[in-house]
Amino acid sequence: MDFIKELFKQLQDIMQENKDYLIDLDSVVGDGDLGLTMSDGFTAAYKKIKDTTEADIGKTIYQAGKAMSTAVPSTMGTLMASGLMEAGKNLKGKTELDNSDIALLFKSYFDGVAKRGKAKLGDKTFLDGLGPAVDSMNTSVSAGDDLKTMATKAFEAATKGFDDTTKMKAVHGRAAIRGEESRSLQDPGAAVATLIIKALCNSVE
Amino acid sequence: MKKIINEPVDYVKEMLEGLYIAHKDQITYTNDDVHCLITTNKKDGKVGIATGGGSGHLPLFLGYVGDGMLDGCSVGDVFQSPSAEQMLEVTKAIDAGAGVLYIYGNYNGDIFNFDMAAEMADMEEDIKVESVVAGDDVASADDTAATNTRRGVAGIVLVYKCAGAAADKMMNLDEVKRVAEKAAGNVRTMGVALTPCIVPRVGKAGFSIAEDEMEIGMGIHGEKGIRTGKLAKADEIVDEVLEKILGDLPHAKGDEVVVLVNGLGATSLDEQYIVTRRINQHLAEKGLAVHKYYVGEYATALEMAGFSISVLKLDDELKQLIDAPANTPFFKQI
Repeated sequence: MDFIKELFKQLQDIMQENKDYLIDLDSVVGDGDLGLTMSDGFTAAYKKIKDTTEADIGKTIYQAGKAMSTAVPSTMGTLMASGLMEAGKNLKGKTELDNSDIALLFKSYFDGVAKRGKAKLGDKTFLDGLGPAVDSMNTSVSAGDDLKTMATKAFEAATKGFDDTTKMKAVHGRAAIRGEESRSLQDPGAAVATLIIKALCNSVE
Repeated sequence: MKKIINEPVDYVKEMLEGLYIAHKDQITYTNDDVHCLITTNKKDGKVGIATGGGSGHLPLFLGYVGDGMLDGCSVGDVFQSPSAEQMLEVTKAIDAGAGVLYIYGNYNGDIFNFDMAAEMADMEEDIKVESVVAGDDVASADDTAATNTRRGVAGIVLVYKCAGAAADKMMNLDEVKRVAEKAAGNVRTMGVALTPCIVPRVGKAGFSIAEDEMEIGMGIHGEKGIRTGKLAKADEIVDEVLEKILGDLPHAKGDEVVVLVNGLGATSLDEQYIVTRRINQHLAEKGLAVHKYYVGEYATALEMAGFSISVLKLDDELKQLIDAPANTPFFKQI
């Protein structure tokens, strides 16, 4: 549970630190409120669980997701909350996490967002940052990497995934209105995914 | 910005407070949150119907909570979705043991939150929830897209009417959902805007329409329409809108329809009836019989000037449900 609390603290901190970075990225393709949404959302999530006495990690993550959905009911806020809530459902009953559980956490996060947003890999979204990181984690689990190595490799994969969004055409949200023109732009959602994995790295430092 | 308001940040809260004062016999709220609006007249064993969405569209969405229509509505900030938790609170309050049907417009923010609320209701409260998403705007139709791109606009009121009457007849959840889907599948809407609207907290319009121009097919948040054109005569505008609607709505000579003429907020009733006159001529020429007209403000876009026309094609069942009585703060029918 201490690990989860630390992870949510790192998520809050990294989103606050990168608020302006996300606002700038989002202003190019969206309406510019992504930095505020992520900062407010992850702050609400951490606030909800930082003093929890709940032992069930799944329930705790679910509660954090729910707090986020209430704090930021915008499109991206609800998507991120959906990822957390799905992760919470799949980790229900766990009081500690091994590396495969942590991989499952992020895999469930991915699935929750994909399901809610009806999106898939290659659509130039958040998923294109998180997806490669999840694959990398699964490889690490099979290879028996320690947590720090697993997180570092996942961050590299997420960063590459984010860079690769400049080759994709947007099919969701406002960016999609630009059609082919959207291709060269970096996807702000995928940037959020790299920050999430960076927060994981920070929490295992 | 020229509005009769206090602080822009209090706009929605104070609007709701006024509504609860004026209609205290019909509506109240749950969970100590004015954004979680419910009927005062809950009926045992009836399917509960909830809607929700951003503010700025009165009478939509909350104005149709009452006898014979809806049981609850979660209310968001201007043009913003309410949260899933608010939707969940409304769901809990209106469930009378027969499950709850969500009927709302086709917008991502609303869809994500209602989907989440439905999962919470199932997981946390064991309430069975079904959803029908209304997308009646023909101007935003893109039938090549993978998902339905049609925005939900004024036609949703007719979906509320049919589904509400079905629930009132004590049909079960699956049946009420079937009726709502049938009504949603047979209603089409298109609008024309003459002026933009101003979100109070923003303070200025996000776009402009030239003095001598109109925006054909504009959405109720100012989404771009099909084309911008010179302002035409009422009859010509009606003809263009109806051509588009009837081109999209499968119909045959002799079919009966319901027509809803809707002012967007700043267009006079006089103008709306001038429009109604031409609609009747046009539909008669096409061999369609109008069973009933609704004329007035049903789904506005703050102070936008303009109007929309909705056409619902009837069958015997929908006709009976449309004719059933209803009594809500903004929709009364004996």
